[in-house]
Amino acid sequence: MKSFVTIFSVVLAILFLFYAATPTFAGSSESGKKIFKKNKCIACHQIEGPAREKTIADQMKRKGPELWYAGSKFKAGFIEVWLKNPEVIRPMEYYSITEKNRGDHIKLNSADAADVATYLESLRSGAVKPVGIQPAVDRKGRIIFSKSQSCYGCHQVLSRRGRVVGGLTGPSLIGAGKRLNPDWIYAYMTNSTAFKPVKDMPIYAGILSNTDMAALAAYISTF
Amino acid sequence: MARSLFITVMISTALTLLVAGACVAGAASAPDNYRFYCAQCHGLEGYGDGPNATKNQPVEPRDHTSAYEMGKLTDEDISYVIKDGGIATSKSTLMPPFGKTLTDAEVTELVSYIRKLCNCSAR
Ligand code: HEC
Repeated sequence: MKSFVTIFSVVLAILFLFYAATPTFAGSSESGKKIFKKNKCIACHQIEGPAREKTIADQMKRKGPELWYAGSKFKAGFIEVWLKNPEVIRPMEYYSITEKNRGDHIKLNSADAADVATYLESLRSGAVKPVGIQPAVDRKGRIIFSKSQSCYGCHQVLSRRGRVVGGLTGPSLIGAGKRLNPDWIYAYMTNSTAFKPVKDMPIYAGILSNTDMAALAAYISTF
Repeated sequence: MARSLFITVMISTALTLLVAGACVAGAASAPDNYRFYCAQCHGLEGYGDGPNATKNQPVEPRDHTSAYEMGKLTDEDISYVIKDGGIATSKSTLMPPFGKTLTDAEVTELVSYIRKLCNCSAR
Protein backbone atom coordinates (compact mmCIF):
# COMPACT_ATOMS: atom_id res chain seq x y z
CA MET A 1 0.00 0.00 0.00
CA LYS A 2 2.75 2.37 1.02
CA SER A 3 4.68 1.64 -2.18
CA PHE A 4 1.55 2.31 -4.19
CA VAL A 5 1.26 5.76 -2.62
CA THR A 6 4.92 6.44 -3.38
CA ILE A 7 4.56 5.37 -7.03
CA PHE A 8 1.41 7.39 -7.32
CA SER A 9 3.05 10.56 -6.01
CA VAL A 10 6.10 10.05 -8.23
CA VAL A 11 3.83 9.73 -11.26
CA LEU A 12 1.94 12.84 -10.21
CA ALA A 13 5.18 14.75 -9.77
CA ILE A 14 6.44 13.68 -13.19
CA LEU A 15 3.14 14.71 -14.77
CA PHE A 16 3.32 18.05 -13.01
CA LEU A 17 6.90 18.67 -14.16
CA PHE A 18 5.97 17.65 -17.69
CA TYR A 19 3.12 20.15 -17.77
CA ALA A 20 5.16 22.93 -16.21
CA ALA A 21 8.04 22.39 -18.63
CA THR A 22 5.99 22.06 -21.80
CA PRO A 23 6.21 25.29 -23.75
CA THR A 24 2.72 26.60 -24.42
CA PHE A 25 1.79 26.93 -28.07
CA ALA A 26 -1.01 29.35 -27.24
CA GLY A 27 -0.60 32.21 -29.71
CA SER A 28 -0.76 35.89 -28.96
CA SER A 29 -3.95 37.64 -29.98
CA GLU A 30 -2.18 41.02 -30.20
CA SER A 31 0.43 39.65 -32.57
CA GLY A 32 -2.25 37.73 -34.49
CA LYS A 33 -4.15 40.94 -35.12
CA LYS A 34 -0.98 42.55 -36.52
CA ILE A 35 -0.27 39.60 -38.80
CA PHE A 36 -3.90 39.73 -39.97
CA LYS A 37 -3.46 43.42 -40.88
CA LYS A 38 -0.03 42.96 -42.44
CA ASN A 39 -1.24 40.20 -44.76
CA LYS A 40 -4.26 42.32 -45.80
CA CYS A 41 -6.68 39.58 -44.71
CA ILE A 42 -9.09 42.42 -44.14
CA ALA A 43 -9.43 42.87 -47.92
CA CYS A 44 -11.61 39.74 -48.01
CA HIS A 45 -12.67 39.10 -44.41
CA GLN A 46 -14.87 41.30 -42.27
CA ILE A 47 -13.76 41.38 -38.63
CA GLU A 48 -16.28 43.80 -37.21
CA GLY A 49 -19.90 42.91 -36.58
CA PRO A 50 -22.77 43.17 -36.72
CA ALA A 51 -23.63 42.20 -40.31
CA ARG A 52 -24.64 45.24 -42.34
CA GLU A 53 -25.38 43.82 -45.81
CA LYS A 54 -28.83 44.90 -47.04
CA THR A 55 -28.81 44.02 -50.72
CA ILE A 56 -27.50 41.30 -52.99
CA ALA A 57 -24.98 43.84 -54.29
CA ASP A 58 -23.66 44.39 -50.74
CA GLN A 59 -23.12 40.65 -50.31
CA MET A 60 -21.54 40.26 -53.75
CA LYS A 61 -18.85 42.79 -52.78
CA ARG A 62 -17.55 40.36 -50.14
CA LYS A 63 -14.64 38.23 -51.26
CA GLY A 64 -14.47 35.79 -48.37
CA PRO A 65 -16.42 34.59 -45.35
CA GLU A 66 -16.94 37.14 -42.59
CA LEU A 67 -14.83 36.38 -39.54
CA TRP A 68 -16.30 38.71 -36.94
CA TYR A 69 -17.84 35.68 -35.22
CA ALA A 70 -15.04 33.24 -36.08
CA GLY A 71 -14.49 32.29 -32.43
CA SER A 72 -18.14 31.26 -32.11
CA LYS A 73 -18.31 29.54 -35.48
CA PHE A 74 -15.24 27.33 -35.61
CA LYS A 75 -14.18 24.57 -33.26
CA ALA A 76 -11.21 25.41 -31.06
CA GLY A 77 -8.02 24.43 -32.86
CA PHE A 78 -9.55 24.27 -36.33
CA ILE A 79 -8.42 27.72 -37.49
CA GLU A 80 -4.77 27.15 -36.57
CA VAL A 81 -4.59 23.81 -38.38
CA TRP A 82 -6.41 25.23 -41.42
CA LEU A 83 -4.18 28.30 -41.73
CA LYS A 84 -1.12 26.07 -41.94
CA ASN A 85 -2.74 23.90 -44.58
CA PRO A 86 -5.69 25.73 -46.13
CA GLU A 87 -7.78 23.10 -47.90
CA VAL A 88 -10.69 24.17 -50.08
CA ILE A 89 -13.96 24.36 -48.13
CA ARG A 90 -16.08 26.08 -50.79
CA PRO A 91 -15.79 24.35 -54.17
CA MET A 92 -16.67 27.64 -55.93
CA GLU A 93 -15.07 31.06 -55.52
CA TYR A 94 -16.96 33.01 -52.86
CA TYR A 95 -20.52 33.55 -54.18
CA SER A 96 -19.46 32.86 -57.76
CA ILE A 97 -21.43 30.49 -59.93
CA THR A 98 -18.93 30.48 -62.76
CA GLU A 99 -15.48 30.33 -61.13
CA LYS A 100 -14.14 27.30 -59.27
CA ASN A 101 -12.25 28.01 -56.05
CA ARG A 102 -8.60 28.17 -57.11
CA GLY A 103 -7.48 26.99 -53.69
CA ASP A 104 -4.88 29.73 -53.49
CA HIS A 105 -5.59 30.92 -49.95
CA ILE A 106 -2.55 32.31 -48.12
CA LYS A 107 -0.68 29.72 -46.03
CA LEU A 108 0.86 30.72 -42.68
CA ASN A 109 3.86 29.29 -40.83
CA SER A 110 3.19 27.59 -37.49
CA ALA A 111 3.93 30.60 -35.28
CA ASP A 112 1.83 33.02 -37.34
CA ALA A 113 -1.00 30.51 -37.67
CA ALA A 114 -1.13 30.10 -33.87
CA ASP A 115 -1.23 33.86 -33.33
CA VAL A 116 -3.84 34.58 -35.98
CA ALA A 117 -5.96 31.66 -34.71
CA THR A 118 -5.83 33.03 -31.18
CA TYR A 119 -6.87 36.43 -32.47
CA LEU A 120 -9.74 35.06 -34.57
CA GLU A 121 -10.94 32.80 -31.76
CA SER A 122 -11.32 35.93 -29.63
CA LEU A 123 -13.92 37.29 -32.09
CA ARG A 124 -17.27 36.10 -30.77
CA SER A 125 -20.95 36.72 -31.26
CA GLY A 126 -23.64 36.70 -28.59
CA ALA A 127 -26.02 35.37 -31.25
CA VAL A 128 -24.44 31.94 -30.71
CA LYS A 129 -26.01 30.72 -27.46
CA PRO A 130 -24.49 27.80 -25.54
CA VAL A 131 -27.38 25.45 -26.34
CA GLY A 132 -25.16 22.40 -25.98
CA ILE A 133 -25.93 20.62 -29.28
CA GLN A 134 -24.11 17.27 -29.28
CA PRO A 135 -23.12 15.33 -32.42
CA ALA A 136 -25.66 12.55 -32.96
CA VAL A 137 -26.60 10.34 -35.89
CA ASP A 138 -30.16 11.42 -35.38
CA ARG A 139 -32.82 9.79 -37.58
CA LYS A 140 -34.84 12.99 -37.83
CA GLY A 141 -31.77 15.03 -38.76
CA ARG A 142 -30.80 12.52 -41.43
CA ILE A 143 -34.25 12.50 -43.00
CA ILE A 144 -34.40 16.29 -43.19
CA PHE A 145 -30.88 16.47 -44.58
CA SER A 146 -31.23 13.82 -47.27
CA LYS A 147 -34.95 13.66 -47.96
CA SER A 148 -37.27 16.46 -46.90
CA GLN A 149 -34.89 19.36 -47.63
CA SER A 150 -32.12 17.72 -49.70
CA CYS A 151 -29.34 19.87 -48.22
CA TYR A 152 -26.84 17.99 -50.40
CA GLY A 153 -28.33 19.92 -53.34
CA CYS A 154 -25.79 22.66 -52.56
CA HIS A 155 -23.44 21.07 -50.01
CA GLN A 156 -20.92 18.32 -50.63
CA VAL A 157 -21.13 15.30 -48.36
CA LEU A 158 -19.73 11.76 -48.35
CA SER A 159 -22.09 9.15 -49.71
CA ARG A 160 -22.57 5.91 -47.80
CA ARG A 161 -19.97 4.37 -50.07
CA GLY A 162 -17.58 7.19 -49.18
CA ARG A 163 -17.81 9.06 -52.48
CA VAL A 164 -17.93 12.87 -52.60
CA VAL A 165 -21.42 13.84 -53.79
CA GLY A 166 -23.62 16.94 -53.75
CA GLY A 167 -23.74 20.49 -55.06
CA LEU A 168 -20.93 22.99 -55.27
CA THR A 169 -22.23 26.43 -54.31
CA GLY A 170 -22.45 25.90 -50.56
CA PRO A 171 -19.49 25.24 -48.30
CA SER A 172 -18.66 21.54 -48.28
CA LEU A 173 -19.99 19.80 -45.19
CA ILE A 174 -17.41 17.04 -45.36
CA GLY A 175 -15.51 17.44 -42.09
CA ALA A 176 -18.11 19.89 -40.74
CA GLY A 177 -17.95 18.08 -37.39
CA LYS A 178 -14.27 18.91 -37.07
CA ARG A 179 -14.73 22.44 -38.35
CA LEU A 180 -17.91 23.87 -36.87
CA ASN A 181 -19.20 24.51 -33.37
CA PRO A 182 -22.51 22.57 -33.19
CA ASP A 183 -24.14 25.48 -31.36
CA TRP A 184 -23.12 27.79 -34.20
CA ILE A 185 -24.77 25.47 -36.75
CA TYR A 186 -27.96 25.69 -34.70
CA ALA A 187 -27.72 29.48 -34.37
CA TYR A 188 -27.03 29.85 -38.10
CA MET A 189 -30.07 27.72 -38.97
CA THR A 190 -32.48 29.38 -36.55
CA ASN A 191 -31.24 32.97 -36.85
CA SER A 192 -29.27 33.21 -40.09
CA THR A 193 -29.85 36.92 -40.58
CA ALA A 194 -27.70 37.71 -37.53
CA PHE A 195 -24.75 36.29 -39.46
CA LYS A 196 -25.70 36.73 -43.12
CA PRO A 197 -28.70 38.97 -43.77
CA VAL A 198 -28.36 38.30 -47.51
CA LYS A 199 -27.28 34.86 -48.67
CA ASP A 200 -28.00 32.45 -51.52
CA MET A 201 -29.12 29.71 -49.12
CA PRO A 202 -32.85 29.92 -48.37
CA ILE A 203 -33.99 31.01 -44.92
CA TYR A 204 -35.34 27.93 -43.12
CA ALA A 205 -36.56 29.64 -39.95
CA GLY A 206 -40.36 29.40 -40.17
CA ILE A 207 -40.10 26.36 -42.45
CA LEU A 208 -38.29 24.01 -40.08
CA SER A 209 -39.02 24.06 -36.34
CA ASN A 210 -36.32 24.71 -33.76
CA THR A 211 -36.45 21.01 -32.85
CA ASP A 212 -35.81 20.13 -36.51
CA MET A 213 -32.87 22.57 -36.61
CA ALA A 214 -31.40 21.07 -33.43
CA ALA A 215 -31.65 17.59 -34.97
CA LEU A 216 -30.01 18.85 -38.17
CA ALA A 217 -27.22 20.59 -36.27
CA ALA A 218 -26.56 17.40 -34.26
CA TYR A 219 -26.51 15.33 -37.46
CA ILE A 220 -24.23 17.69 -39.42
CA SER A 221 -21.85 17.74 -36.44
CA THR A 222 -21.13 14.05 -37.08
CA PHE A 223 -19.82 14.74 -40.61
CA MET B 1 -33.71 82.72 -38.95
CA ALA B 2 -36.81 81.64 -40.89
CA ARG B 3 -34.56 80.74 -43.78
CA SER B 4 -32.25 78.52 -41.75
CA LEU B 5 -35.30 76.81 -40.27
CA PHE B 6 -36.57 76.21 -43.80
CA ILE B 7 -33.23 74.73 -44.85
CA THR B 8 -33.15 72.49 -41.78
CA VAL B 9 -36.63 71.21 -42.53
CA MET B 10 -35.73 70.60 -46.18
CA ILE B 11 -32.57 68.70 -45.27
CA SER B 12 -34.28 66.51 -42.71
CA THR B 13 -37.11 65.74 -45.13
CA ALA B 14 -34.59 64.74 -47.79
CA LEU B 15 -32.72 62.56 -45.29
CA THR B 16 -35.92 60.85 -44.13
CA LEU B 17 -36.86 60.11 -47.73
CA LEU B 18 -33.38 58.74 -48.42
CA VAL B 19 -33.50 56.43 -45.40
CA ALA B 20 -37.01 55.27 -46.26
CA GLY B 21 -35.88 54.62 -49.83
CA ALA B 22 -32.94 52.54 -48.62
CA CYS B 23 -35.31 50.35 -46.59
CA VAL B 24 -37.65 49.71 -49.50
CA ALA B 25 -34.59 48.87 -51.63
CA GLY B 26 -34.46 45.52 -49.76
CA ALA B 27 -36.50 43.95 -52.56
CA ALA B 28 -34.38 43.08 -55.57
CA SER B 29 -35.25 42.87 -59.27
CA ALA B 30 -36.19 39.51 -60.78
CA PRO B 31 -32.96 39.17 -62.86
CA ASP B 32 -30.86 39.92 -59.75
CA ASN B 33 -32.79 37.44 -57.64
CA TYR B 34 -32.60 34.80 -60.36
CA ARG B 35 -28.83 35.22 -60.72
CA PHE B 36 -28.28 35.11 -56.95
CA TYR B 37 -30.68 32.37 -55.81
CA CYS B 38 -31.74 30.29 -58.79
CA ALA B 39 -28.75 30.26 -61.15
CA GLN B 40 -26.72 28.13 -58.74
CA CYS B 41 -28.90 25.22 -59.86
CA HIS B 42 -30.83 26.42 -62.92
CA GLY B 43 -27.87 28.16 -64.57
CA LEU B 44 -27.40 31.82 -65.46
CA GLU B 45 -29.53 31.49 -68.60
CA GLY B 46 -31.99 29.02 -67.06
CA TYR B 47 -30.86 25.92 -68.97
CA GLY B 48 -30.68 23.87 -65.75
CA ASP B 49 -26.90 23.78 -65.87
CA GLY B 50 -25.80 25.63 -62.71
CA PRO B 51 -22.81 24.39 -60.69
CA ASN B 52 -25.04 22.37 -58.36
CA ALA B 53 -26.30 20.29 -61.26
CA THR B 54 -23.47 17.79 -60.77
CA LYS B 55 -23.56 14.36 -62.40
CA ASN B 56 -24.20 12.61 -59.11
CA GLN B 57 -27.41 14.53 -58.25
CA PRO B 58 -30.47 12.27 -58.51
CA VAL B 59 -32.63 14.92 -60.26
CA GLU B 60 -31.68 17.63 -62.74
CA PRO B 61 -32.81 21.22 -62.15
CA ARG B 62 -35.65 22.15 -64.49
CA ASP B 63 -34.61 23.73 -67.80
CA HIS B 64 -36.55 26.99 -67.50
CA THR B 65 -36.20 27.62 -71.22
CA SER B 66 -38.14 24.47 -72.07
CA ALA B 67 -41.60 25.53 -73.20
CA TYR B 68 -42.60 21.85 -73.12
CA GLU B 69 -41.78 21.38 -69.41
CA MET B 70 -42.72 24.86 -68.21
CA GLY B 71 -45.98 24.79 -70.19
CA LYS B 72 -47.17 22.04 -67.83
CA LEU B 73 -47.22 24.56 -64.97
CA THR B 74 -49.69 27.34 -64.24
CA ASP B 75 -48.38 30.64 -62.90
CA GLU B 76 -49.79 29.58 -59.55
CA ASP B 77 -47.88 26.29 -59.65
CA ILE B 78 -44.66 28.17 -60.30
CA SER B 79 -45.32 30.61 -57.51
CA TYR B 80 -46.07 27.75 -55.05
CA VAL B 81 -43.00 25.83 -56.13
CA ILE B 82 -40.78 28.86 -55.53
CA LYS B 83 -42.31 29.49 -52.10
CA ASP B 84 -42.70 25.91 -50.82
CA GLY B 85 -40.15 24.01 -52.88
CA GLY B 86 -40.48 21.01 -55.21
CA ILE B 87 -42.89 19.35 -52.82
CA ALA B 88 -45.57 21.91 -53.85
CA THR B 89 -45.88 20.31 -57.29
CA SER B 90 -44.96 16.79 -56.11
CA LYS B 91 -41.45 17.22 -57.48
CA SER B 92 -38.04 16.65 -55.92
CA THR B 93 -37.14 18.41 -52.67
CA LEU B 94 -33.89 19.30 -54.44
CA MET B 95 -35.92 22.36 -55.45
CA PRO B 96 -35.73 24.35 -52.17
CA PRO B 97 -38.41 26.58 -50.58
CA PHE B 98 -37.83 30.33 -50.88
CA GLY B 99 -41.03 31.47 -49.16
CA LYS B 100 -39.16 32.92 -46.18
CA THR B 101 -36.37 34.36 -48.31
CA LEU B 102 -38.26 36.25 -51.03
CA THR B 103 -41.24 38.55 -50.64
CA ASP B 104 -44.52 37.72 -52.41
CA ALA B 105 -43.87 40.57 -54.84
CA GLU B 106 -40.42 39.19 -55.65
CA VAL B 107 -41.90 35.73 -56.27
CA THR B 108 -44.54 37.20 -58.60
CA GLU B 109 -41.83 39.00 -60.57
CA LEU B 110 -39.79 35.80 -60.76
CA VAL B 111 -42.79 33.99 -62.23
CA SER B 112 -42.99 36.56 -65.08
CA TYR B 113 -39.22 36.37 -65.50
CA ILE B 114 -39.36 32.57 -65.86
CA ARG B 115 -42.24 32.92 -68.34
CA LYS B 116 -39.96 35.08 -70.45
CA LEU B 117 -37.21 32.44 -70.27
CA CYS B 118 -39.54 29.72 -71.63
CA ASN B 119 -41.47 32.15 -73.78
CA CYS B 120 -44.53 30.11 -72.86
CA SER B 121 -47.68 30.07 -70.78
CA ALA B 122 -49.65 27.28 -69.13
CA ARG B 123 -51.07 24.88 -71.69
C1 HEC C 1 -30.59 23.55 -54.96
C2 HEC C 1 -30.89 23.70 -56.35
C3 HEC C 1 -32.04 24.59 -56.78
C4 HEC C 1 -32.21 25.93 -56.51
C5 HEC C 1 -31.31 26.84 -55.71
C6 HEC C 1 -33.40 26.31 -57.21
N1 HEC C 1 -33.96 25.24 -57.84
FE1 HEC C 1 -35.67 25.21 -58.90
N2 HEC C 1 -35.47 23.21 -59.21
C7 HEC C 1 -34.41 22.44 -58.79
C8 HEC C 1 -34.61 21.07 -59.20
C9 HEC C 1 -33.66 19.91 -58.94
C10 HEC C 1 -35.83 21.04 -59.90
C11 HEC C 1 -36.50 19.83 -60.56
C12 HEC C 1 -37.40 19.12 -59.60
C13 HEC C 1 -37.98 17.89 -60.23
O1 HEC C 1 -38.01 17.79 -61.46
O2 HEC C 1 -38.41 17.00 -59.48
C14 HEC C 1 -36.34 22.40 -59.88
C15 HEC C 1 -37.53 22.77 -60.44
C16 HEC C 1 -37.99 24.06 -60.52
C17 HEC C 1 -39.21 24.45 -61.19
C18 HEC C 1 -40.18 23.51 -61.88
C19 HEC C 1 -41.10 22.82 -60.92
C20 HEC C 1 -42.00 21.82 -61.61
O3 HEC C 1 -43.03 21.47 -61.01
O4 HEC C 1 -41.71 21.40 -62.72
C21 HEC C 1 -39.30 25.82 -61.07
C22 HEC C 1 -40.41 26.70 -61.60
C23 HEC C 1 -38.13 26.27 -60.33
N3 HEC C 1 -37.37 25.19 -60.00
C24 HEC C 1 -37.86 27.58 -60.04
C25 HEC C 1 -36.78 28.00 -59.26
C26 HEC C 1 -36.54 29.38 -58.88
C27 HEC C 1 -37.37 30.56 -59.35
C28 HEC C 1 -35.45 29.38 -58.11
C29 HEC C 1 -34.79 30.57 -57.43
C30 HEC C 1 -35.62 31.36 -56.57
C31 HEC C 1 -35.00 28.00 -57.97
N4 HEC C 1 -35.83 27.20 -58.68
C32 HEC C 1 -33.90 27.61 -57.23
C33 HEC C 1 -33.33 22.87 -58.07
C34 HEC C 1 -33.14 24.16 -57.60
